Amino acid sequence: MTSPPRRAGRLRALRDDGGLRALAALGLALYAVFIVLPLFMSLHTSLTNANPLNASSQYVGLANYRQMLHDSELHSAVIYTLVLAFGVTIVANLLGFGFAVLLNRTSLSYRVLRTLAFLPQVISGVITGFVWQTILTENGILNTLLQHMGLISQPVDWLGDPRLAQLSVGIVVSWVLSGFTTVVYLAALQSIPQELYDAASIDGAGPARRLRSITIPMTAPATTICVTICMITVLKLYDIITVLTGGGPAFATQSAAQYIVQLAFTSDEFGYASAVAIALLAISAVLALTMTNVLRRREVNL
Amino acid sequence: MRKRFFVAVATATTTAAALLAGCSGSTSSGGKTTLSYMTFDTPDLTPSFWQTSIAAAQATVPGISIKQVVAPSTDRDSYAKQLEASGQFPDLLESITPSLYTSAGLLTSYPQSWIDANFLLPQGNSIKGKVYIPPTNSQIIPMVFYNKAMFAQAGITSTPSTWAEFVADCAKIKGAGMTPIELGGNDPFAAAMPLTGAISANVLGKDPQWLQQRYANSVKFADADVVSAAQEMRTLVTGDDFEQGALNVSYAQSITNFNAGKAAMYPMGSWYLGSVPKNEWNNIGVFLWPSDDGSQVVPFSVGGSMAVSAHAPDQADAFKFAEAWSLNPSNLKTLIEGDGAFPMLKNKSLADFNVTVSPVYTNSYSYVTGSNNKVSSIGWATNDDAMPGALNNDFYAAAQALFNTSDVQGQMSKLDQDWTSATQGQ
Repeated sequence: MTSPPRRAGRLRALRDDGGLRALAALGLALYAVFIVLPLFMSLHTSLTNANPLNASSQYVGLANYRQMLHDSELHSAVIYTLVLAFGVTIVANLLGFGFAVLLNRTSLSYRVLRTLAFLPQVISGVITGFVWQTILTENGILNTLLQHMGLISQPVDWLGDPRLAQLSVGIVVSWVLSGFTTVVYLAALQSIPQELYDAASIDGAGPARRLRSITIPMTAPATTICVTICMITVLKLYDIITVLTGGGPAFATQSAAQYIVQLAFTSDEFGYASAVAIALLAISAVLALTMTNVLRRREVNL
Repeated sequence: MRKRFFVAVATATTTAAALLAGCSGSTSSGGKTTLSYMTFDTPDLTPSFWQTSIAAAQATVPGISIKQVVAPSTDRDSYAKQLEASGQFPDLLESITPSLYTSAGLLTSYPQSWIDANFLLPQGNSIKGKVYIPPTNSQIIPMVFYNKAMFAQAGITSTPSTWAEFVADCAKIKGAGMTPIELGGNDPFAAAMPLTGAISANVLGKDPQWLQQRYANSVKFADADVVSAAQEMRTLVTGDDFEQGALNVSYAQSITNFNAGKAAMYPMGSWYLGSVPKNEWNNIGVFLWPSDDGSQVVPFSVGGSMAVSAHAPDQADAFKFAEAWSLNPSNLKTLIEGDGAFPMLKNKSLADFNVTVSPVYTNSYSYVTGSNNKVSSIGWATNDDAMPGALNNDFYAAAQALFNTSDVQGQMSKLDQDWTSATQGQ
């Protein structure tokens, strides 16, 4: 039997936490309604041949999932999305780390530069796409500049040649994500005690050794965050590609997310689009969890 | 603690109410029925145009008020489908592709008697014999616009009527140090104009029922005649007949380039007529995409104005508004002058619309009014010849793909696979 003073303490704790629990319950309810429920609805739709312009739909079992195995356009979109995800993650993290090391100073000018470095992350994807389209188009700023500098004699097909268009998308998305990674790595760098560097210097460690033995291990948690966020962001990328290239030329830059939207709202294949979306969710979850586990273990080892 | 709990619940309730408030369909207020009307903006169909035209039509139907829903781009079909999926299908929709909605029973057809009484081609955009958008105007897609001065400079004295003459003229233009063809290759629909012209002229020109036969699976894109026609696109690519970096040129930039005399020819829908600069009116000419055998084929598309949703709350008033808007000559004046649209109203000549048009518009319009071989423009038809699902996008993409592959047969076979996917379950 609980003694009266201990029971009173528990009741007091309950009363004190009541507001927080209510807010937590509200958050969970909203999550359930707007995330979990649509997920299960999508899962159900993926088992049908739902078409918004047909009077009714029928249950087709796993037919939509089997169809994915023979859909070459889907394969191309997924392969491009995965290559883009890995490439952009590497580049954005290298850029972010590099900028963070360069900007890790306390003077006012560096604080201003840090704000500018974060700017790409603040601009919406649609505006980013429009701005870069202006830069990369045939008579755009980049070709004009390169021609004035005598580096090229004819405009380069940045958005017209399939390979160059794919590369252009990668560069733009890396630029956007580098803003995020710069800020995260900067925060990590600023949390490293200066004494560690001082002690290493006294022991004769040069800049490269200090980077390898102090900076990189101490920023391992930031790497985990940045890599995971970059991967997830690119795996569901839609807005920048839609505005920059529209998925062209000839679907060369079509991402998996774009393909899903096209299936749903142009081809009206809601059932198949839902199946592809569920599959993309599964791929993203597996990749994100694997990356996180590997990097977390790396944090421990380092 | 209790106060914090109630504040949290009140906040959640208010938030939910605000979220739900955005979901509203047609309503009635003050005795008037409100009808939602989906429109879209272009350089010529400006917000001011829509306001004026809606007000004029609304004046004839005092019992309604119109709530305008503006599509974020000119792809109004995709936007209409998104609205339908979210339970907000508009009551009135401007210039959509009715074949996409008729199988779901989303549209109400116009009274045939009214259509027969008012339009030159009453069945021009009919779906299984019914008309869902009044056939108020038409386009020829594509035509080949040309720069007369550049033709003269290249020593070309007459426009080509066969494919062989066209290729020879391209060679002459290149020989004179000029670019033969302007192409907005970055925009898929613009990139596909030569492919549209070649297949419309050489396949549908010989068999106007080809698309119906494709629906019946008795012909394929991979058949020899279609592959041969599509080969024309690849021939132009390998012959360097398009400008350098054509796939990097946007549709808007291609208009600017052609108007500035950067290329001698410009295959484009007849809506380009609305973009011919006044100072070039006497320098721009037009001819039809040349067929293999020289026969004239007009790749035609009958557009139209307003579709009426089957769920519009007041069908009678909705049709009154739609009919008033469709027959207003001022609306068509804007489309004629700004969009190069060819009017299809009965008992009306160009003069009745009080328009000022270029000589090249008048020449183009003669193909509409003349007796000739009009066929559906592949990828642009709005009648029973409209292609299923996303086939139009796949068709345009095939044209872009032909810039980087010589496998024309493969690209046409892919279109057949896309057709099969699009028609599954139909």
